[in-house]
Amino acid sequence: MASAVGSAPSRAEVLSLFRSLLRTAAKFPDYNIREYTKRRTVDGFRQNRELSDPVAVAAAFAGGKSQLEIARRQAVVYSIYAPKAKSVMEIKAS
Amino acid sequence: MLLWRSVPSWARLSANALAPTNQQQHRATTCPVSPSPCWPAHPFPRALPDRLAAPLSPRRLFPSPNPIYPRANPPLRLLVLSPLPLPMAAAKHLAARVLRAHLLLPALRRPLSTAAAAAAEPPPAAADDLVTMKGVRISGRPLYLDMQATTPVDPRVLDAMLPFYLSRYGNPHSRTHLYGWESEAAVEAAREQVAAIIGANPKEVFFTSGATESNNVSVKGVMHFYRDKKRHVVTTQTEHKCVLDSCRHLQQEGFEVTYLPVRKDGLVDVDRLADAIRPDTGLVSVMAVNNEIGVVQPIAEIGRICKEKGVLFHTDAAQAVGKIPIDVDKMNIGLMSISGHKIYGPKGVGALYLRRRPRVRVEPQMSGGGQERGVRSGTVPTPLVVGMGAACELAMKEMEYDTKRITALQERLLNGVTARLDGVVVNGSIEHRYSGNLNLSFAYVEGESLLMGLKEVAVSSGSACTSASLEPSYVLRALGVEEDMAHTSIRFGIGRFTTEAEIDRAVELTVKQVEKLREMSPLYEMVKEGIDIKNIQWAQH
Repeated sequence: MASAVGSAPSRAEVLSLFRSLLRTAAKFPDYNIREYTKRRTVDGFRQNRELSDPVAVAAAFAGGKSQLEIARRQAVVYSIYAPKAKSVMEIKAS
Repeated sequence: MLLWRSVPSWARLSANALAPTNQQQHRATTCPVSPSPCWPAHPFPRALPDRLAAPLSPRRLFPSPNPIYPRANPPLRLLVLSPLPLPMAAAKHLAARVLRAHLLLPALRRPLSTAAAAAAEPPPAAADDLVTMKGVRISGRPLYLDMQATTPVDPRVLDAMLPFYLSRYGNPHSRTHLYGWESEAAVEAAREQVAAIIGANPKEVFFTSGATESNNVSVKGVMHFYRDKKRHVVTTQTEHKCVLDSCRHLQQEGFEVTYLPVRKDGLVDVDRLADAIRPDTGLVSVMAVNNEIGVVQPIAEIGRICKEKGVLFHTDAAQAVGKIPIDVDKMNIGLMSISGHKIYGPKGVGALYLRRRPRVRVEPQMSGGGQERGVRSGTVPTPLVVGMGAACELAMKEMEYDTKRITALQERLLNGVTARLDGVVVNGSIEHRYSGNLNLSFAYVEGESLLMGLKEVAVSSGSACTSASLEPSYVLRALGVEEDMAHTSIRFGIGRFTTEAEIDRAVELTVKQVEKLREMSPLYEMVKEGIDIKNIQWAQH
């Protein structure tokens, strides 16, 4: 990444992190975890939108990156052990 | 010793048979739950005799002769399928042919009866992923609304745990190598995380196998330690079974226990509790959040009273930690039980908080190598403990976000159901309640049929009718809920991962099922016509 440790990330980097988190969220086979990850990402970014202090922004960005790593690993684990039957929420259209 | 089972039910002393004041006194000193382990009410299906369960087993085909009476075992009648009469020359092939014929017999065998069918392979899953279990077929995994029973492990918790199953598998008590050092460091880090969420010092946290073990150590361990001076325990009638069973155990040993009744809304009367404390009371045990009805007890007030009277205060906070703010200093808690799998952590781990100032002493239940400062011997399970620590840290960070969301979901659920149904009663106080627990009773509906129709929603019922016994839950009985309402109670558990769509679907299914059952119910018809059910004079035919 272009940003050094401690300096605020650029808008493009933040957006890229947001998109990566949402893309990783879509990879979870479990309905509840998938929805939670999407929702939590959106709410988390929305909550931190007003942050102005560059140190706080950098800290939040670093936190987001570590969460992205966790999500990537766990998406793989959950995919390997995905149950054959899907949740009823995903099956019925009604 | 008289076995409880051998006493016929009509001869067992029933609390309802006593006069009202005696009944209250009886209930105040008698454990509300029946003895554990629970015997199943119906015996398991009897095993089939050999000749039906395994007609072609070698043992039956070639029985070993009885040594004393060699001709006592009758020869097995063998069915020979060969159509032609066999010539003498082929006699030696007879045995082989007979055996082969028997291998064809399975096609002619009579159909399997119940036990053998149950032991046979379940039918293979259909192409559209039907899930078939216990005679129920559903199209997919049910939506999970039973968060009080257990919670799914959060992926972030699993991520923290996995390295300790894969490469860092050392025993934390091994002092001589890296594996032990890194495990110990991880356990101590987890201890700090658990201590942080309850506002305690890490030295006051001890890891156990779960909240049940922590409750056992708290109740029995404290009273055994102070057995010379303190002979009395005060608790409530709505406690978790492990606390009540430990109290019964103490009663059998000669201690006295007061089971305080609760009000209609599930809250304990604090003045009555203060009156019940005697000079020889060693422990007051009141759970923070009830697992069945979700009411939050006034822990801070009870803690203040116990501090004034100099009595130890134990709280079972398994359902409370990570969900409502808990501070052991502000609430004057002396002992606390924490469960891992109620806060999105792994199963099989819990913690016990023991205050150091003033020091709370317990007699250990697990004897062994003196791990966990002698309070709980046994290897500390590093992966589980790390998972629990991660879950506690997450819960601290996410408590505000989760609480807001879960409260909104609970309102959505309650409004959705009450908007379309009447005769819905919320069991327990609505104001003093943890929002993730909603226990509803539906009038004029039979409980088991309601549950059978709700197979796409994983919920729990208030009564124990899903288990072998048909007794309604002792918690609902303590609230004064009538038997018919207790049987139709359903506990919805909402958690971090529940979505709005799931709530809407649950509302839809519940309302549909209740309406369907009420339509079939003659009692409901009579109620709609305005007849008061309680004052009906049923005619004798």
